[in-house]
Amino acid sequence: MVTPHVAGQPVLELKGIGKEFGAIRALPGVDMRIFPGEVVGLMGDNGAGKSTLVKIIAGNFPPSHGEIRFDGKAVHFARPIDARAVGIEVVYQDLALADNLTAAANVFLGRELKRKFGPFAFLDHKAMAARALELFGELRSETRPHDLVKQMSGGQRQAVAIARTRLSNAKLVMMDEPTAAISVRQVEQVLSLIHRLKEQGVAVVLISHRMPDVFAVCDRVVVMRRGEKRADKAIGDTSPEEVTSLITGAKEAA
Amino acid sequence: MMKKELGLCLLLVVISAITGAINPAFLSLVNLLNMANLIGLFGVFALGVGLVIITGGIDLSVGSMFALLGVVFVDLLTTYQIYWPFALLLVLLGGLALGGIQGFLITRLKMQPFIVTLCGLLIYRGAARYYTSDSTRGFGYGDEASTLSNIASGNIAGIPNTFVFLIILALILGVLLHRSVYGRWLYAVGKNEEAARFSGINTDIVIATAYIISGGLAGVSTVLFVFYTNSVSPSSFGNFYELYAIAAAVLGGCSLRGGEGSILGIVLGTALLQVLQNLVNILGIPNSLNFAVMGTVILLGVLADQQLQSRRRRKMALAGLARTAPKSTLVQGKQSASPRGAAALPTSMGDQA
Repeated sequence: MVTPHVAGQPVLELKGIGKEFGAIRALPGVDMRIFPGEVVGLMGDNGAGKSTLVKIIAGNFPPSHGEIRFDGKAVHFARPIDARAVGIEVVYQDLALADNLTAAANVFLGRELKRKFGPFAFLDHKAMAARALELFGELRSETRPHDLVKQMSGGQRQAVAIARTRLSNAKLVMMDEPTAAISVRQVEQVLSLIHRLKEQGVAVVLISHRMPDVFAVCDRVVVMRRGEKRADKAIGDTSPEEVTSLITGAKEAA
Repeated sequence: MMKKELGLCLLLVVISAITGAINPAFLSLVNLLNMANLIGLFGVFALGVGLVIITGGIDLSVGSMFALLGVVFVDLLTTYQIYWPFALLLVLLGGLALGGIQGFLITRLKMQPFIVTLCGLLIYRGAARYYTSDSTRGFGYGDEASTLSNIASGNIAGIPNTFVFLIILALILGVLLHRSVYGRWLYAVGKNEEAARFSGINTDIVIATAYIISGGLAGVSTVLFVFYTNSVSPSSFGNFYELYAIAAAVLGGCSLRGGEGSILGIVLGTALLQVLQNLVNILGIPNSLNFAVMGTVILLGVLADQQLQSRRRRKMALAGLARTAPKSTLVQGKQSASPRGAAALPTSMGDQA
């Protein structure tokens, strides 16, 4: 598969991003570029530095050195909210959904639509349900806005979590192991959701241990090992075997 | 959600009907109005405790708050002869402040709600007893605050004001919990605090506010109880009342794990508890069995609710299974229609098969 927008401006550009925790060097310095509408698989063994990198991009903590450029501008995130403000959303592994609320309520959690009556603001259930239905429609998910999340399948939950990112018109969505704990059928649903994001020009970083998923949806794969980027290849130029040997260190770099 | 309240309503009607059939005095106007008064008295602070329970916390301190705020309130009116609106205001502010301190300890200093409010229970009770040297405080024969007394223990067209207050407060809190953004956040925080925080909600403020509301309603209840009993004995005033509130909330559908419950449920739970107490008297069951009857009913009620819920869940899961099976093939069909999906998906299918 060919990377579609290579010629354009990258949505995210990392230049020599590094992180030290005291004397421990978690990331020596990573360069990476991600383009709009591109799905990049981020792979690596536990402790390879993937989550450190993701947390830096998401604003959980600042890099020790290096520069993050988003949409061509240098950015500094003090808190996760800053990253969200420019258009970076993270779909967490545990999904961060409130089980006891409806799908629509979860999509709008913390960003509720309100109707004002004088000094009082009430929830605008109708508008939220309608907008949520629209978002689910865009994702071609049959999730119903009024269903409680606790009654949903893993795939539907992912649809809710991803719809949240669409609400804010995120330009970059990072997904942490979205297919780790769900059934095979639901994996298909989630992969199709990633396709929908891509169609709408959203860049996706997929952090996954599941080789087949990465090869199914990603345009490019980045392999990390011991804090360093060991490979950054178009999916068409590599193979699951090569990526596996890069992850385990059987092959040093490609 | 509404099913629970409907069931509770039905239970209330059935129990009332049976009791009324055995002893018609149960349905006499005097008895009903007496019960309405008690439901009002016990319902007001149960609403606050219920909100706290929805956040996943617990408030054990309200009973002792009644004693402390009660003796201070009576003292302000009798010993210090303070104009009653100011005394009322001070007691309400006192309740809000105590709630605020507890909320601060729980959210900022990350202490467990059970421990904070248990210590509150001990400290307020002790403070009340020390303040009065363990002596009962009451109104003299003067007419201190007769206006307030008439408001707190009077009636409108025969309906006790306490019951009217409960209805008004329930309506306000009902809107707050079920129609406002704050209520939505309260449920989210109660079920999954981390998710709420990731969504940009200031969970500490949401939780602390629940304790402050509970404290404020405890202040309101204090005034109502003081004029109900007309005296405050610091060692027994409001003793165990926090447990009535917790029982009412749980009976009304609140989960102690948080994130579940409704205002209507809490009110109905309170009503059911008071009906049970009344029924013990009316049916000539030995008064000593009062608590045993209450405990048994709560136990059976919660057990039945749990069984019904798990049955409903199983049914839903089966229905869901039947629903998702044909749907996912549909999704797959759509995908193979789009060229990119067609290129991508077979790889994954092959690997998974």
